[in-house]
Amino acid sequence: MAITEERPEILELESGDTTSSTGVFARPTNATGWRAWLFTVDHKKIGIMYGVVAMFWFLWGGIEALLIRAQLFTPNGTVLTADQYNQLFTMHGTTMVFLVIMPLAAAFANYMVPLQIGARDVAFPRMNALGLWIFVFGGIFLNLSWFLGGGPDGGWFAYAPNTGVTFSPGAGMDFYALGLQIAGIASLVGAINLIVTIINMRAPGMTMLRMPVFTWMILVVQFLLLFALPVITVALILLSFDRTFDANFFNVSMGADPLLWQHLFWIFGHPEVYILILPSFGIVSETLPVFSRKPLFGYSVIVISGAAIGFMGWGVWAHHMFVSGLGPVGVAAFSATTMFIAVPTGVKILNWIATMWGGNLRFTLPMMFSVSLVSMFTIGGLSGVMHAVAPADTQQTDTYFIVAHFHYVLFGGALMGLFAGMYYWWPKAFGYRLNDKLGKWHFWAVLLGFNMAFGPMHILGLQGMARRHSRYGPEDGFDFWNAVVTIGAFVILIGMIIFAVNIVRSWLGYKEGTVPQEPADPWDGRTLEWAIPSPTPEHNFDYVPVVTDVDDFWHKKYQPDANGKLRKVADGNAIAQKGDQHPHLPSPSYWPIVLAAALPLIALGLIYNLWLTGIGLVLLLGSMFGWSLEPATDPDAGHGDHGDDHGPEEDGPDGNDKVEAETAEEAPVD
Amino acid sequence: MKIRSYAAGRLIRGTSLVLMTVVLASCATGRIDPTDPVGENAKQIDGLMRLSGYMAAAVGIFVAIAVVLVVVKFRERPDDDPDELPKQIHGNRKAELTWTLIPVVLLVFLTVVTVPAVFDLSGKGDGRTIKVEAQQWWWQFSYDVDEDGTSDIITANEIVIPVGEEVNLEILSNDVIHSFWIPQLNGKRDAVPGRVHHWRISSPVPGIFYGECVEFCGLSHADMQMRAVVLENDDYDAWVLEQLTPATVPTNDAAKRGYDLFGRHCVSCHVVNGVYESAADGNANLTSGYAPNLTHLMTRTSFAGSVFELYKDDGSVNVADLREWVRNAPGQKAARPENRQGMISFAETLSDSELDDLLTYLLTLGGPPPLMPN
Repeated sequence: MAITEERPEILELESGDTTSSTGVFARPTNATGWRAWLFTVDHKKIGIMYGVVAMFWFLWGGIEALLIRAQLFTPNGTVLTADQYNQLFTMHGTTMVFLVIMPLAAAFANYMVPLQIGARDVAFPRMNALGLWIFVFGGIFLNLSWFLGGGPDGGWFAYAPNTGVTFSPGAGMDFYALGLQIAGIASLVGAINLIVTIINMRAPGMTMLRMPVFTWMILVVQFLLLFALPVITVALILLSFDRTFDANFFNVSMGADPLLWQHLFWIFGHPEVYILILPSFGIVSETLPVFSRKPLFGYSVIVISGAAIGFMGWGVWAHHMFVSGLGPVGVAAFSATTMFIAVPTGVKILNWIATMWGGNLRFTLPMMFSVSLVSMFTIGGLSGVMHAVAPADTQQTDTYFIVAHFHYVLFGGALMGLFAGMYYWWPKAFGYRLNDKLGKWHFWAVLLGFNMAFGPMHILGLQGMARRHSRYGPEDGFDFWNAVVTIGAFVILIGMIIFAVNIVRSWLGYKEGTVPQEPADPWDGRTLEWAIPSPTPEHNFDYVPVVTDVDDFWHKKYQPDANGKLRKVADGNAIAQKGDQHPHLPSPSYWPIVLAAALPLIALGLIYNLWLTGIGLVLLLGSMFGWSLEPATDPDAGHGDHGDDHGPEEDGPDGNDKVEAETAEEAPVD
Repeated sequence: MKIRSYAAGRLIRGTSLVLMTVVLASCATGRIDPTDPVGENAKQIDGLMRLSGYMAAAVGIFVAIAVVLVVVKFRERPDDDPDELPKQIHGNRKAELTWTLIPVVLLVFLTVVTVPAVFDLSGKGDGRTIKVEAQQWWWQFSYDVDEDGTSDIITANEIVIPVGEEVNLEILSNDVIHSFWIPQLNGKRDAVPGRVHHWRISSPVPGIFYGECVEFCGLSHADMQMRAVVLENDDYDAWVLEQLTPATVPTNDAAKRGYDLFGRHCVSCHVVNGVYESAADGNANLTSGYAPNLTHLMTRTSFAGSVFELYKDDGSVNVADLREWVRNAPGQKAARPENRQGMISFAETLSDSELDDLLTYLLTLGGPPPLMPN
């Protein structure tokens, strides 16, 4: 399937023996059961697993948040000790950022990007599986700390030198430093894969400026990941060396400057904010036009402003350090750059409102979550501009005003968008819709709980309540709003329970036949994923579509009549592909999960016993060897219809060639 | 109709929330209250915060109105013809240019206001210099009264300054990063080990102003508070004179026994000027190397990172809390003495009568404070 993975087939030719090149072990062949999931290289299964695992961590991170809120429900709370509190807020942040929002975006990116660009899979299917399993093992490794002496206690930002062995003697920070390095590899692998996929595997005719905005935002995010993750990795390696091998990168008595960590962390950390929010911006840029029945207002402006946010995101990191003692020149410069990153963000908001303006708004669940993103994110964006005023930030930073701000951005923005995406693409992934009534309860509970939990934090912050304090006194005057916040957090919990019930009930109903099967195009969609059956067939597309416009699928349904007025000329479900072809697909493989399992072994060894690291390294090298001997596509498998086995990557780089080739392929359908 | 009522409900809820916010923010009752600035710098910052806050609120209300309007006005109605498409508009360069330029203009304005303020607020104070040292989990303030380069007064948790003077602070840390914040006097500034950060505070009126560490500094971060005690000039001079006086060996029997116990159990970390100075240049029992100097303990209003009151409301000494602290400090405030972070417990070491004697001695160390909390 993929270009770069064709190399083993050359080996195959040289040896003349097809079985020897498959490595020592036989390949997995199961099409159903747990093996079909564990060893899959199918981007859809991988996407779903990213989603399931991320939702598990969401539950976990949510419990951490609720424990924090229980502690702060009253002054001088006694639910947690200071030590437990510090571990919980560290892991709540780390979990929600690295194990929830990033992988949820990865879930959508993996599942939807190939569909939106008309591809049968990503460029490197086995690497895709590798990314998933590294993420899974990285998350487990990070949370093993809870059972091995306590979680990390230095904050998700892990400011040196507080994270050194001197001040944090437990193993928690080792798990943090090594766990995030592992999770980082997962994201890097995914980023390279998706960049190659998006750049090389678009359907013929899909120029960059005909690409769906979601795919565009994912592309921007992958570049951000590609450049941001090496920075945090460097920082984490320095920290690991300090902790494990007594290095002195952050040892002040040996001349280190602890601000080095802050610069490294935030050069990663600020682009990370856009890594978290841009996928959701992409999602609502898909849903708003569909449910307004209007094209996106200013497609190119939205795309360009998304890319601009990606670029400008590299020049604002020191606004996290306004009180670190940078000096007035640095503070003034970063204050100004931070202000102006609000411009492309504001343009997006107004363009979304303009998209809805004059439309015919259908308040389905994805639309409700999308509109709440537009309104809630705006609040977070505006308080962000307030922090950009550096002197004001010297009062706001490290108070609950900041906590309110970034929860409006990450929960009101990123998470609302991801929920919009779940309700929107659920029929495509699973063939049925989530229950509408339960969904509405979920929506209103979450919206109400969210505003109860994070709205009052603005007031608390302005009153001077500091972050990361495991208690406040009765004399501080924070009681009332903290009680409201905690109640709000539990209202969110109720909303999430409703969501979980909805998933289970809708699934059971679908299996029993009481929840109807959804057609290919349930929402009157605009992009290519709606031109194939629901749920998506294993091979995605029977034939690769030829794209002539932005929102190509919609233009196949609506065309101007004699008076130039747009009329519906075709029903989306009728013109959608049938999903009845059986092209040759990439074969499953054992190696990604085996290789990924080696990484936590290596890391555990670094904490406890280097012998374990040795075993991990042997496993790592062995599985790399096995992987490299294994052809991407098992020559013994899938002796089905090879006639349609043409991914777009097999066509010449010249666009015209592509169109001709694909037009020929289209013939049988007419 | 349903959607309309939702939107109206949201509007009402939103408005009432804003109103409540305003009401509550204007009558905040806490001790730490950035919304009630007293110092000159804090007032300047407050002005900027209000300006940016009002601008943000104006934009926010505009967007909220637009969203509500769109949601109410353009929602799908039952009598809509499903085949009738709304007008297909792909964009409007003029409109988009307008709403790119308006934020640019607003933000240029905000930048123009902000940048001079950044430089304005960053200079040193023109008054006397006080050294601020942060460590887990308390503050040390040192005064070089005769300006010979060595500290003459070393006190803990309460920085005493004369009214009306813009004091110049040199902020350092002896272990991890902390942040110095007395919100009614100025914004915050980090204490970073290996670096000296300049900051300044001033107050035009006497009084006690509350502050705390606001950069996460480990286990007991929540219990690292401080106070600024602003005194009239005469009172300040008297305070300085008292602080410069070293302690002497007590004559009273119980206090003398306590003094001897102090010499046995406390001097490896604590200093009492004139009598116990072995830990003056740091000690190996603590990662930061320092414990609070206790020479004039009773002239302070609080102890243990300003977490506990040293005096009760009626002005008598809060003996119960102080005794419990000396007996078992880690039970009162999270610490890791086994890792040289915080004070050890004496619950197993000192008998009840020994504790009484030790308390008697501590109570002889100066006092009472020049100013009591209200």
